[in-house]
Amino acid sequence: MDSPAGTAQSIIELDGVRKCFGRQVVLDDVTIAFPQNATTAIIGPSGAGKSVLLKHLVGLLYADEGRVSVFGTDMASASTRQLYGIRRRFGMLFQDGALFDSLTVGENVAFPLEHHMPQLSEEERWVKVAEKLGWVGLPGFEKRSISSLSGGQRKRVGLARAIIMEPEVVLFDEPNSGLDPLTSDSIDQLILDMKDRLGITFIIISHDIIGTIKVADYIGMLYEGRLVEYAPTKNFIQSHIPVVRSFLRRNIFGPRDSLNQRKQQAPEQS
Amino acid sequence: MTLGRMGLLAWNIARVTFNGNVSLPGFLEHLYKVIIRCLLPVMAVLLPFGMVMSLQGLDIFALYGTQRMLSSFVAAAIIRELSPVMACVLVAAQGGASIAAELGAMRIKEEIDATEVMAVDSVAHHVAPRFLALVVACPLLDMLGCVSGIAGGYLTAVLMNGEPSGTFVAEMWVMTTWYDLLATVLKSLVFGGIIGLVSSYLGYNARGGAAGVGRAVNDSVVYSVLAFITANYLLTSAIYGGIT
Amino acid sequence: MADFVRASWNRPPPTGQVMAEAYRIGVKSLPVLLIIAVFVGTNLSLQGYNAFKPLGGQYMVGLFVSMAGVREMAPVIAAAMIAAKAGTEMATQIAVMRIREQIDALEVMAVDPLWFLVTPRLLGIALVLPALTIISIFATLLSAYLVAVWQLGLNGAQFLSFAREGLAPMDLLYCVIKGLCFGIVIAVVGCFFGFKAGRGPEGVGRATNGAVVTMSVVVVFLNYFLSELFYG
Repeated sequence: MDSPAGTAQSIIELDGVRKCFGRQVVLDDVTIAFPQNATTAIIGPSGAGKSVLLKHLVGLLYADEGRVSVFGTDMASASTRQLYGIRRRFGMLFQDGALFDSLTVGENVAFPLEHHMPQLSEEERWVKVAEKLGWVGLPGFEKRSISSLSGGQRKRVGLARAIIMEPEVVLFDEPNSGLDPLTSDSIDQLILDMKDRLGITFIIISHDIIGTIKVADYIGMLYEGRLVEYAPTKNFIQSHIPVVRSFLRRNIFGPRDSLNQRKQQAPEQS
Repeated sequence: MTLGRMGLLAWNIARVTFNGNVSLPGFLEHLYKVIIRCLLPVMAVLLPFGMVMSLQGLDIFALYGTQRMLSSFVAAAIIRELSPVMACVLVAAQGGASIAAELGAMRIKEEIDATEVMAVDSVAHHVAPRFLALVVACPLLDMLGCVSGIAGGYLTAVLMNGEPSGTFVAEMWVMTTWYDLLATVLKSLVFGGIIGLVSSYLGYNARGGAAGVGRAVNDSVVYSVLAFITANYLLTSAIYGGIT
Repeated sequence: MADFVRASWNRPPPTGQVMAEAYRIGVKSLPVLLIIAVFVGTNLSLQGYNAFKPLGGQYMVGLFVSMAGVREMAPVIAAAMIAAKAGTEMATQIAVMRIREQIDALEVMAVDPLWFLVTPRLLGIALVLPALTIISIFATLLSAYLVAVWQLGLNGAQFLSFAREGLAPMDLLYCVIKGLCFGIVIAVVGCFFGFKAGRGPEGVGRATNGAVVTMSVVVVFLNYFLSELFYG
C-alpha cells in the first residue's frame, strides 16, 4: 500500500481506482490508504477529481476499475444493508452544509438520531444536540431557521450533524469554500479542536493550502485525476514535484491570488 | 401591481417588435426549438384524446343508432375545443415552462443583468424572440393537434370498431366549416399570447436561487393554463354563443 | 423502481408526513382545480349545445356533459392540473435537494432517500387525487348546469334528468380508480425527474419542465387505456 504512514493502520483504502464520466477521465489509477485516527487532506485545483474521490468512500459513486475498501468491505460488492451499515460509521460535512431548509437547526442536527436511535427519548436527544452545537460554537441555536444562518454557521451546523452519531470517520468536502478568510480561519480552528476532542479519522478535501497545512497530518495532491504526491505534511511542503511546488507557491506567496480564487469559487448564496 | 408590470413587459415586447429590434435568426431558432419540443407531446396527447372521443361517442350514438354522425361530432369537438385547449396546455407545459426555465436561470445567473450592462436591450434580445416564437408556434401546433386528434378518432372508429371508413371521411365536414378553422387559429393565437406573456414575465422576474427557477416554471404552467382556460370560455361564448 | 418498492415494503411509511403531504397537495391544488373544472363545465355546455342544436337535440346537452365531462374530461383535467401544480412542485423540491447535496446527505446519514422523500408524496397524492377528481366532477356538472340554464336558456330539470342518465354510480368508481392511477403516475414521474436533475438553476428548471410534460402525456395515454378497459 502506498501509505506514507508506514506502520499506521488504515481503514479506508483505494487501489488503482479509475472513474470516467463519459469520455472524461476524472480519477486515473488512484491508490491511497487513509491512516486511522489521523487527519488526511487531499488538495488540488478545482476539477482535479477531489469531490469524486470523496464520494467513492461512502458509496455515492462507484469505481469503474480498481477497488475501494472501507472497514475491510469491498464497496463494489457491498449489499444495501452493508452499505448503510458502513455509512452509519461515517459523518460528512457537505460544501454548503446540505441542511434541510424546512427544518430548524436543532431538528437538522437531531435528524440522524431520529432515524437511527429511535429508542432515545426526546430529552436525551435534545441534550445530545445541545452538546454538539456547543462544540461547534453555536450554543442555543436549536430554534433558529436555516435561512437565517451565515455560510460559516451553516458549515458549523453541518459539522454538528456529521458528528452527532459519534462516527469513526468524518469527511469534509471543501470546508473553506465560499467563506471569507477570517471565517475560513475559524473553521480551520474548529477542525483542530474537533481533532483534539474526538481523536478520530478526518478526511478533508480542499483547495485551500494554508488551512490544510495547519490541520492535516498527511497531505495528498490530486492533479488531473492522478495522485501526484502523498506524504506527511512536513515532507509534503518540501516536495520537489513541479506541480506541487507551483500549487504551494501560488497559494502561500500570493495572498491576492488566493483571495480572488476564493471569490470565484464562492457559489451563489441567494 | 403584477398585472401592471406584466402589461409593461407586454408593451416592451410590442415596442421592440415593431421597432424591428428582434433578430430574425433568433426568432426562427426559437420557433424551430419550440415546435420540435412540443411536436411529440401535442401528438401524443391529442391522438389518445381523439381515440377516447370516438370510444365514448360510439357509446352515445349507438343508443340512438346514429353512428354515422360520429366523425362529424369528433371533428367538431376536436377542432372547436379540444385541440386548441389541449395543444395549448401542452405548449404551456413544454414551451412556456422552458421559457420560464431559461429566462429564470439567466436572471439568477445574472446573465440578464450582464446583457443590460453591455447596453443590449434584454427584452429585445432574450424575451421577445421566445415570446413571438411561442405565439407563432401555437396555431401550427393546434393544426397538428386537430389532425392527430381526428386521426385518433379514425383509428378507434374505423380500424378498431369496424365503422365504415367512407362514412367517417364523408361525414367529417358536416358540422365543421371554415368559420371553425378560423376560430381554432384565433383561439390558439390568443392562448399563445397568454402563455408567452405569463411565462416570460415569471421567468424574467424569477428570484431566490435555483428554487426560484423551479417556482417560476411551476407557476408559469399553472397560471397560464388558468388564464387561457378563462379566456377560452369568453372566446367560445363570443364565437359560438351568437349562432344559436 | 424495484429498489423503491423494496424500500417501502421494508418499513412502514411515515404516517405523519403522508398526511402532511396529502393535506398540502389537496389544499394547494383545490382552488386551481376548481377554476379549471368550472370552465371545463361551461365549455362542455356551450359546445354540446352547438353540436346538438342543428339536429334539434339541444335537450341532450345534459347527457353530453355528464358523459364527456364525467367519464373523460374531469379526471384528465384534474390530473393535468395536479400534475402542473403538485407534480412539478415535487420535481422542483427534490431537484433543489439534489443540487444542494441534501440527497447525498441523506444517503451518507444512512437514510434511504426514496423512502424518506418519495413514499410520503406517493401515498399522499394517491390519497387525495380520487377525492379531488370527485370534487372536480361536481364542479364541472354544476357550472355546466348554470351555463345551460342561464346562458343558453335550457330547461334545468330536463338537463338534470339527462345528466343522471349518463352518470351511473359505476362511473364514479371508475373515476376514482382513474384518479388513483394518475396520482401514482404523477408522483413517480415528478420524483424521478427531481432525482435525476442536473446541476445549477437550469437543472432545476429542466427537471420541472420535463416532469410536467411527461406527466401530461402519460396521464392522457393511460386514460385511453383505462377507458378502453372500462367502457370499450
